Amino acid sequence: MITIRVLYFVLALALFTVVLLAVGLYYFVRAQRRKKYPYGKWEDILKRLTIVDRDSIEMIARDFTVESGRAGAQAVGPDLDPSEIWDLVGGMRGLEELEKNCEALVDLVFYVQQWYPEALLLAEQLRQSTREIQWRVARLKGAEKAGHLKDWFPEAAQRVVVQYLSMTHKVLALYERGGYPGLSELQRTL
Amino acid sequence: MHPTHIEILFWRLGLLGHCVLLLVLLVRHRAKVFPVFAALIGTNVVRSVVLYVVHLHAGRVPYLDTYFSFALVDFSLQIGVVWEIASKVFRPTGVWAADTRAGTLILLVVCAVVALVIASMPAPPERRVLKDLLDRGNLLSSVLVCELFLGMVALSVQARLPWKTHAARIAQGLGCYSLLGLLTAGVHNITGLVRRLPVSHEVSVFREATYLVCLVYWIVTLWPNGPPPRELTPEMRRFLFGVERSLEYNLKKLRLLKK
Repeated sequence: MITIRVLYFVLALALFTVVLLAVGLYYFVRAQRRKKYPYGKWEDILKRLTIVDRDSIEMIARDFTVESGRAGAQAVGPDLDPSEIWDLVGGMRGLEELEKNCEALVDLVFYVQQWYPEALLLAEQLRQSTREIQWRVARLKGAEKAGHLKDWFPEAAQRVVVQYLSMTHKVLALYERGGYPGLSELQRTL
Repeated sequence: MHPTHIEILFWRLGLLGHCVLLLVLLVRHRAKVFPVFAALIGTNVVRSVVLYVVHLHAGRVPYLDTYFSFALVDFSLQIGVVWEIASKVFRPTGVWAADTRAGTLILLVVCAVVALVIASMPAPPERRVLKDLLDRGNLLSSVLVCELFLGMVALSVQARLPWKTHAARIAQGLGCYSLLGLLTAGVHNITGLVRRLPVSHEVSVFREATYLVCLVYWIVTLWPNGPPPRELTPEMRRFLFGVERSLEYNLKKLRLLKK
């Protein structure tokens, strides 16, 4: 006769076995997928990219370049105030999206390695830029907690945007130069 | 108490399998790398012979005493094998990674608690205290081996480690057998008493047969040499040592800043 104690034991055993098999299956599928697509799946990498308003970030980057070169060249151009930069970037959330996009950009270059092994150098450069962007965003988060976000945001956000834009240019140039598949989708997304 | 034909067949095949496996472990010098596993297989060989002799020349009581004594040794060695394989898989350089030590320890404690909870749950189907304890002990080691196997699978996928090392082969065989051990324990608890109901008996036979398959698997996979270890060149080792030191220093600085 099945007592309540036996029932509990069998249920616990069944739960344990199901969890065990489910976790095992998850890792098995992951290993198989990695074996099938050692460089990742193009569509999956592209899906990770969030579409960013290119005009806005280009405007911020232009402003930063003008600001940096103003002393020497006395260039005239857009002069954005901090609140405009905040709006154009989309605040901290916008910066976090750029941060995530950077990781996808590194993977997009890594993907090209299957035809062009030298792309590893660019992947490494982009990885370093990504680390820098992550560091800046982390500092901004720290400033947000400390209540100094307004002081730090404009310059840090501009630097992040410039670096991100430069990364996208490099990725597009690599795909254009090599004539790799998926260039048009990439241009549309970036 | 006369053994059935199938029990005699399993006994013979088991003894043969254990002898061949022990020979493989000794001849191919695997016993040096896995001393506890070799001791477990050696104990199984001695147990099979001793129990047979006791069964022939002594009574039921001495047979049961010998059986339980060997079972206790077997249980201790099984736990030892879990530790041996875990230490080979999770700390290949002989030391635990400094920053993951706390996390690993917590994970180990959680695994042990889960195993203890499951092992303490079943209603004792046996009246003898020692047999009950041994059943629970076997269940405990089965759960631990299953957890170890899962941890090894996860780590192999995560860190892209090879699946063909000898430690992985031993864990694969033990993992499959232990998973079946869990299912057997469940069936035994539902049917009430070991070997009284046909289903229970069939499950036990299936489990024994699986163990024989595991023995063959170990013999076949432990005979050839494993994949060569990916050794670091002295330059890379020095470079990594430097990186590790600077990381440790930076980490300390960052932690101080955080405080």
